[in-house]
Amino acid sequence: MFFRLLVESFVRQRRRKLLAGLAILLGTTAVTAMLAIGTSVGDKINHELSSAYGANIVVYPKADLLDVEIGGVSIHPGTAGSYIQEADLTKLKGIFWRNNITDISPELPLDVTLANAGQSKTIPAVGMWFHHTMHYGAGSSAESYTMGAPGMHPWWKLQGAWPADNSPVDHSLDQAIAGSTLAAQQHLSPGDTVMIHNIPVRITGIVSSGDATDHLLLLPLGLAQQIVGHPGAVRRVYVSALTKPEDALARRNPDTLPPALRDRWYCSPYANSIAFQIQEVLPYTHAEQIRRVAQGEGTILQRISGLMWLVALAALLAAAFAVAASMTTAILERKQEIGLMRALGATRASVANLFFAETAILALISGTLGYLLGSLLANSVGQQVFSSAIPFNPVLLPAALGLAVVVSLAGSVPSVFRTMRLDPAAVLREDA
Amino acid sequence: MSQRMSPKRVSLMMLMRRSLLHRRTRSLAALLSLTVSAAVATTLLTLYASLDQKLHKQFRAFGANIVITAPNGIALPPNTLAIVRNTAGPDSHVIPFAYVVAQTKNGAPIVVAGTDFAAIRTVDSWWQVSHWPDATTVQTSTTDEGIVPSLVGTRAQAFVSGDHFPLTYNGHALSLLATGTVHTGGPEDSRVYIPLDQFTAWTGLGATTLEVQAPGNAIQVQGVLDHLHLAIPNVEVHAVRQLVESEGRVVSRTHALMLSSLVLIALTVAICVLATLTASVLERRRDFAIMKALGSTQHQVSLLFLLEAVLLALAGAAGGYLLGSLFAFLIGEWNFSTAIAPLWQIAPQVLLLNLLVAIVAAGVPMRILRAVEPATLLRGE
Repeated sequence: MFFRLLVESFVRQRRRKLLAGLAILLGTTAVTAMLAIGTSVGDKINHELSSAYGANIVVYPKADLLDVEIGGVSIHPGTAGSYIQEADLTKLKGIFWRNNITDISPELPLDVTLANAGQSKTIPAVGMWFHHTMHYGAGSSAESYTMGAPGMHPWWKLQGAWPADNSPVDHSLDQAIAGSTLAAQQHLSPGDTVMIHNIPVRITGIVSSGDATDHLLLLPLGLAQQIVGHPGAVRRVYVSALTKPEDALARRNPDTLPPALRDRWYCSPYANSIAFQIQEVLPYTHAEQIRRVAQGEGTILQRISGLMWLVALAALLAAAFAVAASMTTAILERKQEIGLMRALGATRASVANLFFAETAILALISGTLGYLLGSLLANSVGQQVFSSAIPFNPVLLPAALGLAVVVSLAGSVPSVFRTMRLDPAAVLREDA
Repeated sequence: MSQRMSPKRVSLMMLMRRSLLHRRTRSLAALLSLTVSAAVATTLLTLYASLDQKLHKQFRAFGANIVITAPNGIALPPNTLAIVRNTAGPDSHVIPFAYVVAQTKNGAPIVVAGTDFAAIRTVDSWWQVSHWPDATTVQTSTTDEGIVPSLVGTRAQAFVSGDHFPLTYNGHALSLLATGTVHTGGPEDSRVYIPLDQFTAWTGLGATTLEVQAPGNAIQVQGVLDHLHLAIPNVEVHAVRQLVESEGRVVSRTHALMLSSLVLIALTVAICVLATLTASVLERRRDFAIMKALGSTQHQVSLLFLLEAVLLALAGAAGGYLLGSLFAFLIGEWNFSTAIAPLWQIAPQVLLLNLLVAIVAAGVPMRILRAVEPATLLRGE
């Protein structure tokens, strides 16, 4: 009997069910879409920031000489002191948060003697990777990555081509690029060949950075090591990693933390813990966050995701009110039905059960549809805004359904009970 | 009383009051929906209007966005700082820097910078400083036989001995007092910072670099840049490209995201409200039929229903505007730590939106009912 009533109600009152269902559907669509956006906006903005601002971690040898550097240009870069071994850098892809490391850029500052058009001059230079292929692992699990300075400095503007990373085997010319200020001073342009320490080098491009790099000559790392006379040596390494904004735990010293907290610290992608893990695989080095970038990124990330969460909350509240209001109206419309059932001898409990079962079924159906629609919508917003999809998040399905059912019931309970408290005869007569 | 009993025409106001009060629950439900829709619209529009400004402000966490240097590393003309301060305006911050390579007691080279600590403190929030050289330390130490207060970088710490240490530049000795350490993870860690005045007194050199933090979006920063180019023609003035370009991109993405959310939420709420109101008007087809049967014209009935909807929409818009402004204010406090003031400019938009929803919600069922004969309606469904 109960089920027949339930089925008949859906079959006969299609228009009403459609209207109430539509409200729930739209409510869950908005909530699902906003929650999906809210949960993934952190990731998206993090990617955006990390690819925009470059390195947020720097690694240098522990027992180093003091850097004597002004405005990004090393003054008398010494050949003494200790170095990081270039070969060791593959180990960075073996740390716990290796997938969060998006780029690695080693640097070796040096002074070079540049002979061009009969004049000889000492100029500051840096050896670096441009599009270095890095291999990690062996056999079937072998992976390779392309790393280097261009990815680390997306704001560099290049006129010409990036130089080849390795000295050509066929004894053709080594390659390099010049900073824009240096190029203007030395009258260099792409295609020129200059002598650097009696090695012929072709300038393949001119780079403009808007900072100190404009004064430098940028060489492939191997060539710089050859000139300095330290094969495999690197003075410092810049690392760009996806990190979680710093919180109270991130600032703690891991050595003073109790084991459980220490594990949580170690397994959170804080800039500090990634730096810590880099130090573990590269002995005799010191790795730390570049606070200007890391702290700034953290602030922006927190603000934007906080904002989206609050907007999602507003969507949630609004949808809840709208759905509850439409359910209240939908039940009020059916006053007479309740009166008739009661007049025919149905108990309050059975009437309430029927109405609540109807509401729950309606909420489940509309909620599922709303979840699907909302996920699609979030996906297309992701494509539009970030050019990358916001994936389906199955965790949101129970949340969306639970919300649809709870809010719909909350909207119908008061009106059902209000109507039942009235005398059935009065309810029926009122509109007769 | 006697007037009401007379066969005079029943006033529209009275009918409306009756209609709204008689079915109080339903009127309240409709009012609630309209209030919520207005509140949501107000919150989102207020947030949206102040979003860019708030975001650009957050991006100042990255510090200076304009750098001024003298060509070839020579000192800037002595009045440059004053000109830049004037040109950049009161909302900008200017930090002067001057650098030399000095020798420690052991003859090791170390970079010493002269700067303005107060300005760094406001702009470079990422400087982790154990103790700033404040006014009192500066006072006492300068009177104390010319000892200069300084911040020592965490890496430089190992190269100077203790809190009191001497440095020499070009044969001029200087006694320094380390009031604290600075840690940034950048080149600052290898340097010693002292106040610019004492730096100039010691080395005879003035500032070589000015870092300017200009407020606002890319266009406003470009405006400051242009003014600076005109005011100080012989020096290099350029934007920190790393910051300015990325900032614009992230802000515009967030802007687009906010806009899509706004449209999505507003649409949902509007359609839900529409569904609720339409249902509640349709429910009153009997009232409609009775009025027509008693001789009202179609226009009179439509007017009554429309006026009711408009009245509810007005009340909803007023309440919703207040609620929404409050909500936007709270979001500003929680998320950006600065209040977002209510915007009176958006009040007409909110009102218009609400009226539109209410009129459509009342108008659609009226069109459906117009075609139906009152007798058919009254006889049964």
